[in-house]
Amino acid sequence: MIEISSDVIRGYNDTMILFILEKEPSYGYEISKQIKNISDGKYLIKETTLYSAFTRMEKNGHIESFTSEQDPEGNGKKRTYYRITDAGKEYYKTKCDEWGLTKEVVERFIEH
Amino acid sequence: METIKNYLEAMFAGMPDTPEVRRAKAELLQMMEDKYNELINEGQSENTAVGTVISEFGNLEDLAEDLGLTKEVQELQETEAAHPRRQISRDESEAFITNRIKKALFLALGIMMCITSVSCPILFAEAGDTAVLAGPALMFVFIGLGVGFIVYSSFVDGEWKFIRKQLCFIDMNTASYVKDRRRNFESVRAICVTLGVILCVVCWVPCMLFATTSRVTIGPAIMFLLVGIGVFLIVYANNTTKGFDLLLRLNAVKTISGNYGEPPAPAPKYRSKAAETIVLVYWPAVTSIYLIVSFLTFQWGITWIIWPIAAVAHRAVVINCQAYDD
Repeated sequence: MIEISSDVIRGYNDTMILFILEKEPSYGYEISKQIKNISDGKYLIKETTLYSAFTRMEKNGHIESFTSEQDPEGNGKKRTYYRITDAGKEYYKTKCDEWGLTKEVVERFIEH
Repeated sequence: METIKNYLEAMFAGMPDTPEVRRAKAELLQMMEDKYNELINEGQSENTAVGTVISEFGNLEDLAEDLGLTKEVQELQETEAAHPRRQISRDESEAFITNRIKKALFLALGIMMCITSVSCPILFAEAGDTAVLAGPALMFVFIGLGVGFIVYSSFVDGEWKFIRKQLCFIDMNTASYVKDRRRNFESVRAICVTLGVILCVVCWVPCMLFATTSRVTIGPAIMFLLVGIGVFLIVYANNTTKGFDLLLRLNAVKTISGNYGEPPAPAPKYRSKAAETIVLVYWPAVTSIYLIVSFLTFQWGITWIIWPIAAVAHRAVVINCQAYDD
């Protein structure tokens, strides 16, 4: 079975996370689960990769973290949630455009 | 879930202990826990769930790079390589603890003998003629035995002296074993210390009770016995706990594993060297005054008053001598 090379997808982990956070604030495992579901289980993001992405994006000002005492289901579990910032939304758009270009260029070299 | 926690602890053991790393560890554990719980809810067996979680975890080198800790991690690895630490295995820890309990018992017994030795001359103080000499003689026998026990206690853990001199380390499993032992001992310690303190606080009560009887000196004799037992309990409990803490603090302080133990309680700070000395000599001085006054006046029925007064005064002395940070 082919697997996605982590080198290639590395540059787009941020895009996936921002895509999910643009809908609503979320937390670590929930985000990884959504990435898995949206990709039909073809891409599993590792915990360390995900956490690295969080810290990097928070440093860059693309996301913000906050602690919530309750999850959406109302369970009283203290968790770190992340929400997208305006800068993050901008960055997401740039990444989408960049991917459009990347896809277009790489596509021309692919034999079907 | 315990396996996952241990796995994460082992992964992080050599990482520098910084707020970022601690946060990373906590967040990663949360994600792993969420995943584990969901897999269990989906009906997977515990073993499969643990396997899945661990295999999908990733590796820490990438994380160190992203946290900007590559340099620190490397430096730590280099120092560890230059000064390899001797591992203390679980079995060794067990042997160490058994040994430590023995040491604590002998030390406490020794101190108890020295304290109770004072009871002998007091008991025989009012006996006639030659019997009066039996008191001091017995006292020296007690002191001799006491000192003997104390000296022996310092030899008991002779083979473990290296733990203080050489760099050592324990792994997560040993640490949790020692922590368990410490936790189990905590209730024993609480009882010992509480009883010990109570005995020391009420020690003058027998003096009061016997004050008006014909055998006045029985009171002070019992008092020193009570103090002796009280101190025995306190020394035994605290010294044993110190043994657990010694093991738990073996690891490099700068790493995550350096914090398997609890941080040592800060030593009280004093206004000056003189203030520290006053606090240190307070109880020995009070004891000396009590004994001198009592033997000179032979008013055993009254002199015990010194103790409750000294106890109240002690609080005032400590408050005046300690330095407080605002």
